Amino acid sequence: MIEFSNLNKWFGALHVLSDINLSVAKGEVVVVCGPSGSGKSTLIRCVNGLEPFQKGGLIVDGTELGGSEARLRDLRMEVGFVFQQFNLYPHKTALENVTLAPIHVRKLSKVDAEERGRALLAKVGLGDKMGNYPHQLSGGQQQRVAIARSLAMQPKIMLFDEPTSALDPEMINEVLDVMVSLAREGMTMMVVTHEMGFARKVADRVIFMDRGAIVEMASPETFFTAPKNDRTRDFLSKVLQH
Amino acid sequence: MLGNLNIRVMLEYLPDIWHGFLATLMLSAAGFAGAIVLGIVACALSIQPLRWLKWPAVAYVDAIRATPLLAQLYFLYFGLPRLGVLVPEMVIGVIALSLNSGAYVAEIIRSGILSIQRGQVEAGMSTGLTYLQRMRLIVLPQALRPTVSPLIGQAIVLVKDSSLLSLISVVELTRAGQMIAIDRFMPIEGLVSTALAYLVLYYLLKLMAGLWVHQNRLPGRA
Repeated sequence: MIEFSNLNKWFGALHVLSDINLSVAKGEVVVVCGPSGSGKSTLIRCVNGLEPFQKGGLIVDGTELGGSEARLRDLRMEVGFVFQQFNLYPHKTALENVTLAPIHVRKLSKVDAEERGRALLAKVGLGDKMGNYPHQLSGGQQQRVAIARSLAMQPKIMLFDEPTSALDPEMINEVLDVMVSLAREGMTMMVVTHEMGFARKVADRVIFMDRGAIVEMASPETFFTAPKNDRTRDFLSKVLQH
Repeated sequence: MLGNLNIRVMLEYLPDIWHGFLATLMLSAAGFAGAIVLGIVACALSIQPLRWLKWPAVAYVDAIRATPLLAQLYFLYFGLPRLGVLVPEMVIGVIALSLNSGAYVAEIIRSGILSIQRGQVEAGMSTGLTYLQRMRLIVLPQALRPTVSPLIGQAIVLVKDSSLLSLISVVELTRAGQMIAIDRFMPIEGLVSTALAYLVLYYLLKLMAGLWVHQNRLPGRA
């Protein structure tokens, strides 16, 4: 489903991704963790073309990235992306946020889009907040609207870029619960997160990145109990302490 | 000084002031309409990525903002006939006002667009919206709201700038006031009449701005 081959990316002189080789199968859930600045956000932003790269290849759902804008757009319809800062449209209600792309990109009728939107908002536990504007919602609620907005396009892959990092602690679980149920339904997911409980519960593989490279890749069981790399051990000792 | 204003003369010239008022209103409206069109075009060109389209827009905005309106007005007044373009002074005046204000309008709109967080654009991209859809559905509806107040401000500036057209013998409000001064040697009566008329225009614009803000409150906010 997602196939990185020797992918390299530079920001000027800074080598942000170096020789990334990774393949994610359909239905697989991959958690990416690592210290800040390790390139994990950049890695998943490459998958839907938000970041260009300079060397190597990346094939997502049969589409080679780095092609035309039109093909990139077709790909993005199949790949949902959830941002750390939610990025909801503040001038639209929760329901309008969710139905915008289905109406204008998938060309659904307003009635059909709203039906789909209502079902999704209900699914993420916001059935009573459809008419609210983003500023009237808590962070956790906003992030759940953002997840529903991505799901409304019925994507084949979902990417999450630190979806709970901007949330107050008591709101983290409501977002993770939605992600867990999504994973159990068989969605192909790449999730950048430091929520190790989530990784243990649903991840098929956990990746540790440092300085732009994949340092360790293992099943959660092995990753948490017997990490091979020193830097992974060091990192885990810091995030698992609390 | 104002205590012994000759009200009788002011009333006598009221029809002339009224015509000047209407002329200023028309010139300003035409000038501002042109400025909005020019401003939108210049702004669109300056934010798109192609360099050879961006460069002329940036040069236009810089050239206008760096030089005085009076110089631009004379440049057109004496320059256009040399290019074989013979048009009435009034048209030259409107062109000058549009060109001048257009540059400021372009910057006002650009600042509104740049105020929209990049993340919203990325969210739009990620769901497959095209560039034009992102602009139309996400960026512009939000970007235009904060530009309304500065645009009204620019319109107020334009109304007052239109007084310079009196220098190329367009009969508008300032020119009408000068008539009183010239015919009756009563400069203060002329200036006060003119000033009051400008004040009325100012309050009209302010009232319109207030109505717009009232009718277009942010959804979901008191």
